[in-house]
Amino acid sequence: MPITNHLENLNKSSPLSQFLIPLTWLMFLGSTALMVYYFVDFPTWSVGDLFQINGFSIVIWTVVAFFSAIVQMYATNYMKGFKNKRSFLLYCLAFSFSVMLFVISNNIILMVFFWLLMGLIMAQLIGIDSEWKEAQHASKFARLNYVVGSLFLAMALGLLAFSTGMYTKNEILVNLDTVPQWMSTVAALCIIVAAIIQSAIFPFHRWLLSAMTSPTPASALMHAGFVNGAGILLTLFAPLLFKANVLLLIFIIGGVTAIIAQFSKLLQVNVKQKLACSTIAQMSFMVMQCGLGFFTAAITHLILHGFYKAYLFLSAGEEIKNSLPKKPDAFVIKPLQVIIITTSAVLGGLIFGYITGKGLGLDSGLFLIFIVAISVGQVVYNILNQANIPTAQKLFVTPLMIVASIGIYALVFNGVTILMHDMPMASMPIVLTPVHIVFGVIFLIGFYMMLSGTYRKIPWLYVKLMNISQPISKSIVSFKTK
Amino acid sequence: MTKQEQILVCVGAASQRIGTTWPLYSFVTSNPLSGYEKLPFEDAVKEAAGFLKSNSYPSAAIYRQAFQNNDIDKPVLSKILQEQKLSKTPEAYLDMMEKDEQQPPNKTNSKVDVIMAKWLAAFMDEGLAEWQMPNKEKGFYAAWKALAVYDKDMGSLSLKQLPQTSIEALELVLSAYNEISYTTIFSAHIAALPGWTGYIKHRIDTNSIWQQHFPIDIEDYLAVRLTIANQLGTPLEMATETVGDGSILKLKHLWLKAWEVTFQNKLVADLKQNNISFNATKEKNTLPDAQLVFCIDTRSELIRRHVEASGNYETYGYAGFFGIAADYQHYQEDISIKSCPPIVGSPYKITENPNEELAQQDANFKAEKKRSKANAHILKRLKNMLPSSFGFVEGAGAFYGLSLVAQSFAPGAYFKIKNRNKRNYESFCDTVISYNGGEQDKEDIALEEKVAIVKSGFDLMGWNDFAPLVLFAGHGSHTANNPFGSSLDCGACAASPGRHNARLLATLANDKQVRAVLKATHQIDIPKGTVFIGAEHNTTTDEIVIFDAGVLNSHKEQLKTLKKNLNKARETATSERLMVVSGSVELAIKKSQNWAETRPEWGLAKNAAFIVGSRDLTASMNLNGRCFMHSYNWKSDPEGSALTGIMGGPMVVTQWINNHYYFTTVDNEKFGGGSKITHNVTGQFGVVQGNGGDLKMGLPLQSLKASDTEMYHQPLRLTTIIHAPLGRVELILRKNKHLVTLLDNEWMYLKVIDSNDSNDFKTYKKNYNWSRDAKSTSDYSLEKTDALELKAL
Repeated sequence: MPITNHLENLNKSSPLSQFLIPLTWLMFLGSTALMVYYFVDFPTWSVGDLFQINGFSIVIWTVVAFFSAIVQMYATNYMKGFKNKRSFLLYCLAFSFSVMLFVISNNIILMVFFWLLMGLIMAQLIGIDSEWKEAQHASKFARLNYVVGSLFLAMALGLLAFSTGMYTKNEILVNLDTVPQWMSTVAALCIIVAAIIQSAIFPFHRWLLSAMTSPTPASALMHAGFVNGAGILLTLFAPLLFKANVLLLIFIIGGVTAIIAQFSKLLQVNVKQKLACSTIAQMSFMVMQCGLGFFTAAITHLILHGFYKAYLFLSAGEEIKNSLPKKPDAFVIKPLQVIIITTSAVLGGLIFGYITGKGLGLDSGLFLIFIVAISVGQVVYNILNQANIPTAQKLFVTPLMIVASIGIYALVFNGVTILMHDMPMASMPIVLTPVHIVFGVIFLIGFYMMLSGTYRKIPWLYVKLMNISQPISKSIVSFKTK
Repeated sequence: MTKQEQILVCVGAASQRIGTTWPLYSFVTSNPLSGYEKLPFEDAVKEAAGFLKSNSYPSAAIYRQAFQNNDIDKPVLSKILQEQKLSKTPEAYLDMMEKDEQQPPNKTNSKVDVIMAKWLAAFMDEGLAEWQMPNKEKGFYAAWKALAVYDKDMGSLSLKQLPQTSIEALELVLSAYNEISYTTIFSAHIAALPGWTGYIKHRIDTNSIWQQHFPIDIEDYLAVRLTIANQLGTPLEMATETVGDGSILKLKHLWLKAWEVTFQNKLVADLKQNNISFNATKEKNTLPDAQLVFCIDTRSELIRRHVEASGNYETYGYAGFFGIAADYQHYQEDISIKSCPPIVGSPYKITENPNEELAQQDANFKAEKKRSKANAHILKRLKNMLPSSFGFVEGAGAFYGLSLVAQSFAPGAYFKIKNRNKRNYESFCDTVISYNGGEQDKEDIALEEKVAIVKSGFDLMGWNDFAPLVLFAGHGSHTANNPFGSSLDCGACAASPGRHNARLLATLANDKQVRAVLKATHQIDIPKGTVFIGAEHNTTTDEIVIFDAGVLNSHKEQLKTLKKNLNKARETATSERLMVVSGSVELAIKKSQNWAETRPEWGLAKNAAFIVGSRDLTASMNLNGRCFMHSYNWKSDPEGSALTGIMGGPMVVTQWINNHYYFTTVDNEKFGGGSKITHNVTGQFGVVQGNGGDLKMGLPLQSLKASDTEMYHQPLRLTTIIHAPLGRVELILRKNKHLVTLLDNEWMYLKVIDSNDSNDFKTYKKNYNWSRDAKSTSDYSLEKTDALELKAL
């Protein structure tokens, strides 16, 4: 009986998964072993002029293999009975390979090829249900974005190759001095466009908001391993960005999107759109870190954000809840609290600066310290205002928790920095400019607006943000195939 | 009649057909076409298909599977077809049906739906968004009106063009249209987003707290929708679909009949067989060691069979709310939920009362509750705020990485760590029943009412003797990461677990005063040595948790034996259900904890019949979890009052459930939830597919099908079988118009095992006619008009 057979299949995983999952974990373990073994001084291996493996590539390999394995383990259960499960699993694997091959590509044609391939596979995953018209439109739209992004990347690399006469990334970067300034600026701008399309930064954010037609595990993979492409791309071409002097521009692009996306997140009424807005905001922050010259911090951020977002997507079914309407929190703060909050914020920032070595000089690192300080202040404010938390917890557990979080972050950050030691200009703080300070102030204003809830009284802003954060209309109910 | 009154009348008429969309935190499986029940099934599905563009019958592929598995008996089918002068082979007809389905789907590119879905989701959100839609408290139309001027999706709109109220807006929009077309226009626009309009209906019907704060009604919906349509220049009159080929629909109807008759024939034959063998071996008269009462739910059939096999035990079937029409107030929570069927009111309220001797446990529980609430609150704030969300992700990212590993490799351990501080308050609380609302709100209920609740339970089940241990087992489902979790809970408790009602009934039946009155005035003598205990059957793992905190030492030994045997039953039951020889319990637990599991259990899938009678009727049968079962003893109910209750309550509820399963199976995208893999939780109460759109109305594909293409649930209309004198059943029918409508219109079937006529099987036909069951084929016949339609074939 076919039905009985299938029911038995529901109890076990498919032969394909039984092969692929251990394989992926093996890749993860292999990369981890290499990382640990060569930790302090990671060598560089080259495969002719085509590929080059270094500490940075191993970091990305480890992370990608990890997400791929987790997502496959999830999908092998989750997708049972889905008609395209087989191709889904193979696409996931192919996607992981294309990311891994991209980061080790040295030949510029290979780079563009794998960058494009990543996108094409992701578009396939978005439209994996071929009978669902809305999904097909979402997929088409995403593909268009990726193809345009790849064209920009091709233009940038083509320009550089034309000017230097070199066809590998490394040689191009070494010979940047020979490139005329205008040409490197154009190339850098093209790289930026390619990067922010991939990371769904405003105004290219809409493909991500329209991509919920992909099955949940594919979304996890997308948000943990694909959308952070900007971080990788900008890091690989850091010397070019310095030469073209576009870091401030990158910082501004990130900063503007971060604010828009974080406010848009507040009004989302479905889980996946909310997570997508959050991803856009986090990616913007990653881009800001690049703009501050802290490419290693950006890479750390994309790894940690990947953990966070993959988990939230995979557990997105937990959000059903019977609740009561409630009034927004009132903003109350007593003078004594101000002192405690400010002190802990400053302390938190200092600890962070001390153990990560960021921002102790008067440079762009200060901005990162500023973010940490506000976060710590925010934690302390909320805990102080919770009558339901016992005093012991407030006094001892809170500082412990904050120090532990900063410590664990520093551990990852320092590890990544050491592994990326041979990446040119990956950690080069720049001079603090008025623009940084202006954004610091804007962030503070945003923080205050959120805390006090003043934004709730601006209806036009609500509609504006609502419409900005809508998926493309052909990807929702338009055809009623689902 | 003024124009406005006219409009209101038409809105009322068009609203009749709306089915209810339930929130997923209390998901009731009801008939999506309940608004059509006054029509014969065949006409109803045809009319609904016109509005909703839905499928009404199983697809040819499903029929083919059923036919190949002999679930559709060839002789039965041939006979039915021949009666209609349809003489081709079944295969030929399958091909015809298949060909008909290959028509390209209609393209309806509607911008109006996109904009409506956006605003409905925003307005009806129940707390997912931190920033709620402004002006919600003024109602949907007014809130939308205040924002519409900024909504560039509709082009530019002047505030002056929008009237003050929704009825004025409707009047304005419809000024160019003839009054005759109003109802059609409204019906079409309501049916354009049936999920959302169904949820509006639910909010109006229940007047939920969200509705009280943020009102929305169908006039609002129509006013906004038609205004937008007008603004976009879309004609209001939507083209109604011509629904497929009439003769193909007829053909599909015949195949459905054949499938149902095949099932009924088999069931009847088995029941007769069982009756013969049962009478031959009937000899028991010893008192069982324990009696266990389970819900009428189809999942109880399996566990009852295995419990009975594990020892000298007797089991009963009773509606899982245990006859207590009440709301339940969770201990230390703000929310109170309905804990009885939605068709019944809730005059009572069940609350938890902490035991004073266990005050320490209570204090721990409360402290933990507060702490976890505070933590959740802080976490939410950190994630939302700019820029602390960035710092938070960096600080907590590694922790989420570890959680990913734990969830993937050791979900059991993860579950334990996550819930390490969670305690069940059942261990230190007792249930208390009080009045719900009115003047006596929160007062303890009168003794006679307590007695009545207990007595009616024993009456309905036809109880005779009491064993030393009597377990009332409610049921609940325990699954992870599952938006449809509540659809697996007790349907009789409005989709919440039934254990609180079970505990309360045990408390009442143990009450000395209650027992005294039962003995003195109702001749129900409960022996001193009998103790009643509440329990819960976990339908995902088949564990039976016994709430025995208050049981005296005198029964501890017996209870120990019972628990041992229940564990044995659990092993055999899970082994049968999951079709594995060993490790079945572990597998079941794994399914309940795995965050990637989309089919943790099958719920009520496969349900097809409802059997009302004593357990002897089905004693040696394996019903494969396809039957609801209610205990009933016709001998102890001469006046038929118990049967009246069963037919008026459980029989209707089972029909709801059955019809829901039918329609969600035949058109899962329209009536059901579609595939879980692309679900997106919206507003904390529902799901949409992918990027948004219409709210999903019913069960997901994974609750109904073994795969995208293979069926699991067989879409058959419910057959109720009652063991009682025919005259008694008919008398009850004559008093219950609703039941007769359902039966006459073939939303369900009824058979009676006539105890006054040597237990012969008799089948209800239209207008109180009964037919004696023929040996193995049906005496099904169609009316003449039907035969005409079929000539086309």
